[in-house]
Amino acid sequence: MRVDDVHTLADDYVLGLLEQADEMAVEAELPHNIDLQRAVASARDRFLPLDMTVTPVAVSATLWAQIEPRLGGEQATVADGTRATSGAQASPIGHQTANDNAATRWRRAAFGGMAATLLLAAGLGFSLTRTPEPVVVAVLVNENGTAQAVVEDFGSNRAVVRLLEDLAVPAGRTMQVWTLPSREMGPVSLGLLDEARSARLNPPSLPRPQNAQLYEITLEPEGGSPTGRPTGPILAKGLARLPR
Amino acid sequence: MAAAEMTSDGLDRDLFACARGDAKALKRIFDREAGRLTAVAERIVKRRDLAEEVVQEAFINIWTKAHQYSPERGSARGWIHAIVRNRALNLLRDGRREELVDAERLEAMREAEQIDHVLAAFAALDRDSRLRACLDTLDETRRRGILMAYVGGYSHGEIAGRLCLPLGTAKSWIRRGLAALRECMA
Repeated sequence: MRVDDVHTLADDYVLGLLEQADEMAVEAELPHNIDLQRAVASARDRFLPLDMTVTPVAVSATLWAQIEPRLGGEQATVADGTRATSGAQASPIGHQTANDNAATRWRRAAFGGMAATLLLAAGLGFSLTRTPEPVVVAVLVNENGTAQAVVEDFGSNRAVVRLLEDLAVPAGRTMQVWTLPSREMGPVSLGLLDEARSARLNPPSLPRPQNAQLYEITLEPEGGSPTGRPTGPILAKGLARLPR
Repeated sequence: MAAAEMTSDGLDRDLFACARGDAKALKRIFDREAGRLTAVAERIVKRRDLAEEVVQEAFINIWTKAHQYSPERGSARGWIHAIVRNRALNLLRDGRREELVDAERLEAMREAEQIDHVLAAFAALDRDSRLRACLDTLDETRRRGILMAYVGGYSHGEIAGRLCLPLGTAKSWIRRGLAALRECMA
């Protein structure tokens, strides 16, 4: 990495401008890259005066009371790798904390997916020279971070879903594949997986798939979501990467 | 803000004490900083209740990660603020990317707020500060882009949209603005 690159990366990281995958890469690199540590430290302190322009607010009287009971538990559970839930149960915003836990799990899961995607994308560079290349490839992982499916989106009304696991679909339900081309458009269905096996989809005309575009598979009523938007539980999701 | 000021505020001592398991040190940080940190988070997540949720989780993180802090990682204050900012940004992103159904609701909430609020941070900077002087040398659009990212937690796409620039242009303007700022403050 050139010196400039380290500082550019550090600035983007501190400003929160990096794509999720790059941000994770920076966080993985930080503990053993002194130059990057220094660049991040210097960027943080460079912008800190902007934080100091706020007028401090009076926080809820109960805020510390929600933190304190979690201190012992959190430290104790660092070792066994699970997270204390006692604080969450006692908390009036317990459901939000539970959501946050789920989000953390998804983030971790996405990280696993990201690594898999990069490997896969590297592999595709060698293996797919004969066939038309997908515009993007997304590895979809479940909540535990296990890769469940790969979506190859070729753009121009063609996408392929390859299932990597046997997904259990209850009677009367079907799997539906979605993507989020942009926040303005909202989620769009790429098609249904009538049987729990790999399939070629014929999505509607959409903007050209982008790097980091979200893909996911949800469980919907037979015939697909009645609302045209995902309604059921998410079986797997992941962010697309451009094959290199 | 002079570096000496930031290291002599006692936050580093309290972080070292947290690393040794002294919960009273965390309480001292909370008593002094929670109000400011909540306000910093609120500029990003736009809601007081969410900002307090961010600060709550951030203090758990400060407690469990205090052993990772060392002066080579910058000022103790910068390290603490980074934890709060990360959690606030993650909350936004989870809302944006991880719940398709909720994405529109969250977006609507962010549309409602004022960019002026974000830009006010620049006006509030100490007139004599280096950051203020260096931001002043940037042209208006680049300065706005950088402030929207840092103060308001806006993404490249959101900044491009608000500044009516193509995404690639917004990215390269911000990048060049940041490089100019680094050079000016070096």
